Amino acid sequence: MNDKDTQNEQLESILRRAHLPEPSPGLKTRITTEATKAWNQTSQEISWQIPVRRLIASAAAAVFVIWLANCSSDYALARWQSGDLPVAHQKPSDLDALPEISYSPLARHLVSASRKPSITDASALRSYAERMHLILNEAQQNGVSKPQAPVEGRSRLLPTQPGINSFS
Amino acid sequence: MNRSWDNILDKILPDNMLQAALARNDPATVELIWDRYAGDLLAYLQAVLCSRHDAEDVLQTVFVRIVRKRHRLAKARRLDAYVYKIARNEASSFISRRKRERKVKSLDESWLIVPKAHQELNELAEELQAVLARLPQQQREVIVMKIYRQKTFLEISRLLGLSPNTVASRYRYGMEKLRILLGNLIL
Repeated sequence: MNDKDTQNEQLESILRRAHLPEPSPGLKTRITTEATKAWNQTSQEISWQIPVRRLIASAAAAVFVIWLANCSSDYALARWQSGDLPVAHQKPSDLDALPEISYSPLARHLVSASRKPSITDASALRSYAERMHLILNEAQQNGVSKPQAPVEGRSRLLPTQPGINSFS
Repeated sequence: MNRSWDNILDKILPDNMLQAALARNDPATVELIWDRYAGDLLAYLQAVLCSRHDAEDVLQTVFVRIVRKRHRLAKARRLDAYVYKIARNEASSFISRRKRERKVKSLDESWLIVPKAHQELNELAEELQAVLARLPQQQREVIVMKIYRQKTFLEISRLLGLSPNTVASRYRYGMEKLRILLGNLIL
């Protein structure tokens, strides 16, 4: 360890034989002149201008953020109103397993309706109710005119559910 | 009281006075800042850039930047650390600009000199310069500030915003490398 310290001291003394030059007077004149020029240019800006400029910059930033938020909400709303929201999760449907049921058009409609986004618009809700009414009427007429015998003891209303035998 | 603390306390007062002068918006403060910081900053910039000419150019930019930011400097908690931060940022942007423009730094100019009475040491100065240039920048700047500007580890750590242990270990690693590179000069 002592050997290392001695070597370090030697090294430091070798390094100290040279030195770094001090800034020359010419450099001082050049740099201080430039700096004073910059000082005089910036002193023309009155001190109250600085907070005012900061205020304007923050106001502009706030306006920009609000504008951005508006744009993004408009975009999201437009997509939502057009009803083409992507389905994130689609339940597997048993539509193909329902042909023997007399209420299959109603069941299909219910399944497809459950996939669509919820309706809150009054006119859309009204037309939806009318459509449902029409479909129910059709289903009722079909059910009366073309009754189908239940297959293997299944209920007409509901497909057999596993573990529920109380309907048979 | 410890010598390093004496040094620090000596420098706190001038910084406070400089900040007061900056707050008064007096252009004569440029001279005061020059007297206080020019030597140290030029040495630091030479250590970072390994070129006297580039260091002088960057020093000018640093002074202009100091003048433009004088309102912030007047309120700074530590004026010297702020000034060094400006110098470090300017040196970094100069290096990246140099890399982008693929400019080669001039290696023939000497940024380490020997006293006129010892011109026979010119070769040694050149060798030291070449060896220092081979060190990583972080180690080189600590060695230059410690050896050539007589700063303590504590002062360097406060100026560069590092812990004293980091500064000491950078110095130690740098000296180890120098010991290997200058093996022929050490007995």
